[in-house]
Amino acid sequence: MGVLDYFKPVLAMTTDEVRQFLRDRNPDEYNLIDVRQPKEYEMGHLTGARLIPVGELQQHVQEIDPARPTITY
Amino acid sequence: MQGGIRAWEGLVAEGPPESGMAYFGDSVRPPDLAMLAWMLEDGSRLFYERMDEFLRDDDAKQLFQSLAKAEVSHEKTVAELYRGFSGGRAVEDDLPSDRGDIMEGGIKVDEALRWARGKDVNAILEFAISLETNAYDLYLKMERRLEGDAKKIFLLLAEEEKAHLGRLAGLLEKKM
Repeated sequence: MGVLDYFKPVLAMTTDEVRQFLRDRNPDEYNLIDVRQPKEYEMGHLTGARLIPVGELQQHVQEIDPARPTITY
Repeated sequence: MQGGIRAWEGLVAEGPPESGMAYFGDSVRPPDLAMLAWMLEDGSRLFYERMDEFLRDDDAKQLFQSLAKAEVSHEKTVAELYRGFSGGRAVEDDLPSDRGDIMEGGIKVDEALRWARGKDVNAILEFAISLETNAYDLYLKMERRLEGDAKKIFLLLAEEEKAHLGRLAGLLEKKM
């Protein structure tokens, strides 16, 4: 088995798919998480996105509803 | 979301190389994990060392050199683990001949370097944050597969990768 066989591609939505997904649903039907840094978030973010910087995800993971689909960027 | 906020805003011509997620089947053995960790640390070290010639920002240069040194220290730690798992063999002697240089997320080092050339410091810091996030996640996965001292060592490595992530995020905040 080669080393690269351990790595599987992460399935990710395209921006068009995300646009469609957000258009078709109410905000209470999904988790939209911005994992960048606070200043990046302040400079602009997707409407309704919640800021949880990637380094703090573990502390806040309980606050993300596992029953809803989650989109991160 | 592919390409992140820059793709959303239509700004991305060429995003950074995509990371994969590591999965380990039931058949994976402790020496396999130590060897994989060694190869990824070695690849990340190569990438961080090369940032010295890619970047003009002194703070970033300093941080990447410090991270490169930390990766050397991690390489030594996992090389010792490998030696313990394999009855005294050196990891360098057992590497697959066709391994190539890969880094966290299974990204090829030369591909990452090609992407990084000419990028601004913030783009490179964001990419490095994704690398360290991958490393943190990987070591937690490895730690769950191991027992005893090896488990403690991988947990410690995970915590160190998390600290690297914090340093990179702190510098990115400062540069915004």
